[in-house]
Amino acid sequence: MAPRNDENAFWTIFGYLLSGLLIWGGIGYGLDRWLGTGFFLLGGLLLGMGSSLYLIWLRFGRN
Amino acid sequence: MRVLAATKGVEGEGFNPPDAGDFNLPPFIEGNVFATKPILLAFLSVLLIATFFILAARKAAVVPSKLQFAGESVYTFVRNDLGRDVIGHEFMRFVPYLFTLFTFILVNNLFGIVPLIQFPTMSRISFPYVLAAFTFFVFHYVGIRRHGLISYLKGIMFIPGVPKPAYVLITPLELATYFLVRPLTLSLRLFANMFAGHLLLLVFFLGGEHLLQGVIGLKLISPFSFAIGIALTFFEFMVQCLQAYIFTLLTALYIAGALADEH
Repeated sequence: MAPRNDENAFWTIFGYLLSGLLIWGGIGYGLDRWLGTGFFLLGGLLLGMGSSLYLIWLRFGRN
Repeated sequence: MRVLAATKGVEGEGFNPPDAGDFNLPPFIEGNVFATKPILLAFLSVLLIATFFILAARKAAVVPSKLQFAGESVYTFVRNDLGRDVIGHEFMRFVPYLFTLFTFILVNNLFGIVPLIQFPTMSRISFPYVLAAFTFFVFHYVGIRRHGLISYLKGIMFIPGVPKPAYVLITPLELATYFLVRPLTLSLRLFANMFAGHLLLLVFFLGGEHLLQGVIGLKLISPFSFAIGIALTFFEFMVQCLQAYIFTLLTALYIAGALADEH
């Protein structure tokens, strides 16, 4: 299983980064549309990026 | 707009670069939306795969013939490298699915460079979508059967050893990864690779043909375009095998993840 782990890790990390941006960026975009503001999208993207990185660290960096 | 339409209409006037429209093959039976080349190719691939493996397995002998050896090599590769090494001791249950997936995608991809066929079925996005949907249902079903619905979802949503407030941030991401990003990336990766590869070949071969009709200076450049096209064909062969492999490998990895005790 060891040589396959790289491939797995690569696509898992890619997936986390993507879903972080999509989910939190999407929520920020929705709030912006709803409230007519302009900063939630940026905040959501940053929050999503941060939480993706945190999740990746939890999965791969902890031990 | 008028000018564009006018130049497009004139034969041999200006080069029309290949675009997404070249993948829109009209049905060859008028009005029947199912009678298209990609669908025909999908059926042809099933016919070819079945014929090949039935012939390869029919006269199975201890000392294998060349055909039997070829068939067994493919099977052994999927069973050992994609099944046993990834999934672990329960792998035999999933080998039929992995094997079908691998051969089906491989043959349909290879259609992209087989002379006279030259169309990768997987460059029509519905095919990768359906295959990814199968994988999606298989690995979730396996996980739910193994852990029960509640504890399976819990395993996805809550990584152990995280401070409680952090779950607000990461649980949506885990859910999105398992239910959205996985099937999407699985299908889009296959589709995009096949689509781009076919487009690339079209550009160089159609471009070479067009240069051949130009003035003498352009005629001299034309062979280079064809040469790059031929080189890219070999490159495409590599990509097509690799994509079939990656799709099957990730399916096996997802199944292995669903079977594991902790996600």
